[in-house]
Amino acid sequence: MEATSSELSAPESGLKSKIGRLFSRVPIIGWLFGALVAVILEQIVGMPLALALGLPKIPVLFGFVTVLKKPMLVPSTMLFVLLIYFLPIVIIARLSLEPANRLAEKLINFSMEGSVLIHLVLLYAILHIWAEVSDYRLLILKFTLIAIMVTVSLNVINGYMGEFSCSHPGFMALGAYTASVFTVSLFVNDSLFGQALLPSFLGPFLFPLGLILGGCVASLGALLVAIPSFKTRGDYLAIISLAFLFIVKSLIENLEFVGGPRGLSSQPDWANLPIVFAWTVACIWIINNFVRSTLGKALNAVRDEETAANAMTVNTRRTKMVAFMFAAFWAGVAGGLFAHVLRYVNPTTFGIQKLAEVLAMVYFGGLNSVYGSIVGAVSLSILGEALRPLELFKWIVIPLLLILVMIFRPTGLIAFKEFNVKKLIRPKQSPGKEV
Amino acid sequence: MAFFLQNLVNALQWGSFYALIALGYSMVYSILMLFNFAHGDIFMVGAYIGFGVATGLMVLASLWAFTLPGWLILVLTILLSMFLTSFLGMFVERVGYRPLREAPRASAAITGLMIGIILEILILWGMGTQRVSFPSLIDTVTYNIGGVFITNKKIMIVAISLSFMLALHLFIKKTRWGMAMRAMAFDYVVVPLMGVSINHIARMTFAIGSALAAVAGILFGVAYPVLDPYMGIIFGWKAFVAAILGGRGSIMGATLAGFLLGFIEIFVAMIFPSTLRDLIAYSIVLLILVFRPYGFFGEPYSAKLRL
Amino acid sequence: MSLLQVEKMTHYFGGLRAVHNYDIHIEPGQIRGLIGPNGAGKTTIFNLITGIHQPTEGVVSLEGKNLVGLQPYQIASAGLGRTFQNLLLWRHMSVLDHVIMAQYSRMTYGLVGAFFGTAKRKRQETEAEEKAYRLLELVGISGLANQNVLNLPYGDQRRVEMARALAMEPKILFLDEPTAGMNPEELLQMMEIIRQVHKEFGLAILLIEHRLKLVMELCEEIQTLVFGEVIAEGTPEEIQNNPKVIDAYLGKEAID
Repeated sequence: MEATSSELSAPESGLKSKIGRLFSRVPIIGWLFGALVAVILEQIVGMPLALALGLPKIPVLFGFVTVLKKPMLVPSTMLFVLLIYFLPIVIIARLSLEPANRLAEKLINFSMEGSVLIHLVLLYAILHIWAEVSDYRLLILKFTLIAIMVTVSLNVINGYMGEFSCSHPGFMALGAYTASVFTVSLFVNDSLFGQALLPSFLGPFLFPLGLILGGCVASLGALLVAIPSFKTRGDYLAIISLAFLFIVKSLIENLEFVGGPRGLSSQPDWANLPIVFAWTVACIWIINNFVRSTLGKALNAVRDEETAANAMTVNTRRTKMVAFMFAAFWAGVAGGLFAHVLRYVNPTTFGIQKLAEVLAMVYFGGLNSVYGSIVGAVSLSILGEALRPLELFKWIVIPLLLILVMIFRPTGLIAFKEFNVKKLIRPKQSPGKEV
Repeated sequence: MAFFLQNLVNALQWGSFYALIALGYSMVYSILMLFNFAHGDIFMVGAYIGFGVATGLMVLASLWAFTLPGWLILVLTILLSMFLTSFLGMFVERVGYRPLREAPRASAAITGLMIGIILEILILWGMGTQRVSFPSLIDTVTYNIGGVFITNKKIMIVAISLSFMLALHLFIKKTRWGMAMRAMAFDYVVVPLMGVSINHIARMTFAIGSALAAVAGILFGVAYPVLDPYMGIIFGWKAFVAAILGGRGSIMGATLAGFLLGFIEIFVAMIFPSTLRDLIAYSIVLLILVFRPYGFFGEPYSAKLRL
Repeated sequence: MSLLQVEKMTHYFGGLRAVHNYDIHIEPGQIRGLIGPNGAGKTTIFNLITGIHQPTEGVVSLEGKNLVGLQPYQIASAGLGRTFQNLLLWRHMSVLDHVIMAQYSRMTYGLVGAFFGTAKRKRQETEAEEKAYRLLELVGISGLANQNVLNLPYGDQRRVEMARALAMEPKILFLDEPTAGMNPEELLQMMEIIRQVHKEFGLAILLIEHRLKLVMELCEEIQTLVFGEVIAEGTPEEIQNNPKVIDAYLGKEAID
């Protein structure tokens, strides 16, 4: 169970296993150091290096976009990525192996929570510095984090509980509109809601309240799907959830006081990177806590054999209700953040297209797996941006990729894998002691 | 009264599109126990194929300098497009569904969705973002019957739809192949043991469903002469709802529910502002499913997404 | 007052009468048997008492507490554990998780604990895990705790079901053909487990079995069910010698 892929391949001979052996003992914190050095390096020498290599500017997304746009620049882009990202990360990670392992061990012995916190601070620092290079990167990063929240929460219903729910964009819409109405009516002078009611310095402090409110409204909306789920499962529930999505969308289109089909704009700019990051971490942490508890595993029991779950003291109705409302809450929060990152929402944003997108992320990443959902959301978000130069054909490449994944790994890339933070951040040195 | 009857006629026409598409969903469901989410886009591609065939026939006719009557072009278009679109259906089955027959049903649903997106993009790429208008093959004649205006096209559309539904019904009830399909719907596991190839039946089901979708596409083109690549999404999802409403896998149910959805939509738009159409229509659908959780003709058995 | 009281329980499936005027009184610590040909309604009786189906008529009570109309999980929490004839296991869960899951009703940490991982949750989850290991030890599969249930051979899957039912800390245990599909060796082991469970927890047990050897050896009293009605009731000897039973049931099958 402890054996990771690199450990498994260790006995094989050859170059691959050699490299694997070199790096399998690098703890996460070592990689984080490497990445930190890389992004700082990019900050300092990125621009001159890019110009020296004949690139117009620092490649925004590891050179994917440039490569597709201007094939002539492929060698220099690759060199840039090699010099700025690959080599520093690999070298630092390898060189810091001993101290990093010692540090990881010390941290974990000192306090589990503290260790997690330090890892998160490091991760945030890396993302922050990376995003400072351009506004585009910042935007992609925020949307990716929000996509993680949506995907992980949808996995609670579609993966952990095994219902094919189509209502997630609807929950997002409820959250987005509630949070927007909250902030715009209270803190912004605008044409729809008139004068601001509260001084704007209070805003950033009350913003989380708005998001939570959005989450709660989404949760209440989820009752409309959760209650039929007591009696109905499978296809019919899928349709009920789909009908819910259409109803929410159509309802918002008909509500003139939130702008109807024209949408709602002028949300204040409070969804900055630390806020989005913090909410994403909270979302992953709480959802991961939940699905690893017996209350959360009851979702699996209901999915796999409801009759048995009921006969083994599991309150199936409560379980279903909690699953729907809980997942909807996070979708609502994510929707609220989405509205404040984009600073504009309209009902069309939350339609079938969005549904296809989030479903794709969940099923690509892997069912019943927080880990998989993070991977799915990040890889499809980045891929979506990286393939942008392909324009229309992006929407052929991504679906084809997904079809291939479905054919060869029907439950997604990393399905049914527990996301164990403790295992993730522990030191990987001293194999005699650990393994 | 005349107003009501007028809407009734419109609803009949509107419902026939839904019913024809819903049949495709239902047939595939009854055989393979899964929904072909690419079906809406097959309908869309069918409409475009119809457009291509009709235009091609007209060009050919003018090249060789003889006139084909409009109705003949229409009949040829329908037949040829059915033939061509059925290949698309078989292709989708082979590529997207056969490899996933043992996989969780949700995975097959995702594959279907993705094939749908690919079809849309291909059409968008081939035809451009501009909508195309379907050639007007027959002249519109309007009859005024006691204040109710009925066009010859509406009569034709409803008549053609109904006759295809009847033909399907007879095919399933009377022919050997239909019998095999029913047997397959009855028992997925045993039938292959009896010497009927499941691949063969699945292929045939997709072919027939797609051919019917092509008919719906062409009739849609005749009635509302603009086609766009996203019409499959709009119609497909609604027809899918109709298929479920009718009762999973029930041919009869899908037909009736298709017409019912047409009626709901037309009459909601008649009474309320048209922006409320989706809101009310889907609320009704939701209510129906809450009180009849298995649709009109569905079997109440615990349907689980096999994970 | 008996532990479990069932009086005049009747059930119709549509127009078909599946169970008619069924009575049973089980005292604490008794092992009772229920035999009968296929389709006699034995499993239906289990499903009626455990709340999966609602009896059309009749009284069911556990320690004087009425059970009719309660949800299955409420009945289970009240102290009525069961196994299933056709092995209803959770296909994606480990053996250990099965046994922990059956302690669901004793997890009182609530959603706050589930979301934020409170100390109370840690304590209760650890206790549940320890208990699960003890029970797996008891049924002899503690070495398989982290396996997925589907990887287990059939006999071991039956043991998982047994451990799972015991984890609910039932006052009375319903075993629906616990040895179906087992080979003679596994059968003996299962009999030993049932005896041990009975001794250790002082459980009352109601057993449905096809293998008469098991029923005759384990049960104090046996009911014979034919077409939803009890045609004979008594000690193993009485049942074995009852002409009605021999006619309806035993006459067709050799006693092994």
